[in-house]
Amino acid sequence: MFFHIVLERNMQLHPRHFGRNLREHIISKLMKDVEGTCSGRHGFVVAITSVENIGKGLIRDGTGFVTFPVKYQCVVFRPFKGEILEAVVSMVNKMGFFAEAGPVQIFVSNHLIPDDMEFQSGDMPNYTTSDGSVKIQKDSEVRLKIIGTRVDATEIDKNISQSRPKWDPAGSHPSRFFCIGTIKDDFLGVINDPTTI
Amino acid sequence: MSGEEEENAAELKIGDEFLKAKCLMNCEVAIILHHKYEQLQQTSDDPMNQVSQVFEKSLQYVKRFSRYKNPDAVRQVREILSRYQLAEFELCVLGNLCPETVEEAIAMVPSIKTRGRAHDDEAIEKMLNDLSLIKKFE
Repeated sequence: MFFHIVLERNMQLHPRHFGRNLREHIISKLMKDVEGTCSGRHGFVVAITSVENIGKGLIRDGTGFVTFPVKYQCVVFRPFKGEILEAVVSMVNKMGFFAEAGPVQIFVSNHLIPDDMEFQSGDMPNYTTSDGSVKIQKDSEVRLKIIGTRVDATEIDKNISQSRPKWDPAGSHPSRFFCIGTIKDDFLGVINDPTTI
Repeated sequence: MSGEEEENAAELKIGDEFLKAKCLMNCEVAIILHHKYEQLQQTSDDPMNQVSQVFEKSLQYVKRFSRYKNPDAVRQVREILSRYQLAEFELCVLGNLCPETVEEAIAMVPSIKTRGRAHDDEAIEKMLNDLSLIKKFE
């Protein structure tokens, strides 16, 4: 699900950027640093929509760098367990299929695909009902329910991310969301197919 | 993360921060992202190079899965759904999935029945009818 939320971040700037374009520089660095990142708490930051406030800069002891607290509004995508949403199938194999909903990848295991659908291998691997009326293949649109989410902290030592510093609570440690889903419940499955509901 | 075990969108257990946050339907996100993309086009020769993969995938996704394309229709959908005591999250799931029957609506957003807000079937049916009218005249 997409949300419009306010986040805060401390931007560290080298004195060479102080001058007329300080604010623009802070904002452009903010966008470069934050857009496209993902955290376990807020999900993926899709786009920054506005900067609410840039606070007074604080000189860091010993380095001369200055830290500016920045408050900004952004669109995030955060998947939730139990959420029902629509997704595009990206890959099909005999274990199940992968689907994408925006930046998030969701895996639906064959155990959570209706029993009357069988895997068919070939150039376009797919799951099809015995009468051939419903087919799931690459680029099919499906409605699924997320039954589990997991965040992987990539590149960062997990021990460090456990004791997050106060100024960056679950902020921008590189990570990705993975989800598992099901299409076995009522009203789930291929969209645009009048026979599925 | 230990908090994740208790999460369940079906019961609106999505955490205080997100319960109080502004939720966006796909069609609303499409307007925002498109606007941002246009702004980038004005300031750069190659806007696609400037945006992250997350942005690109999200833009493609909301364009594909927007039920309403016209900004006025999008506004109307939010206005109509806001009349029924729904949480932001519930409102957006309904606006995204556009269930056709009361049964489907309850399956998509089970919390509308369980939160003691007395959403009877008649009210839900009226809401779905109002939504489908916007679609017809979009």
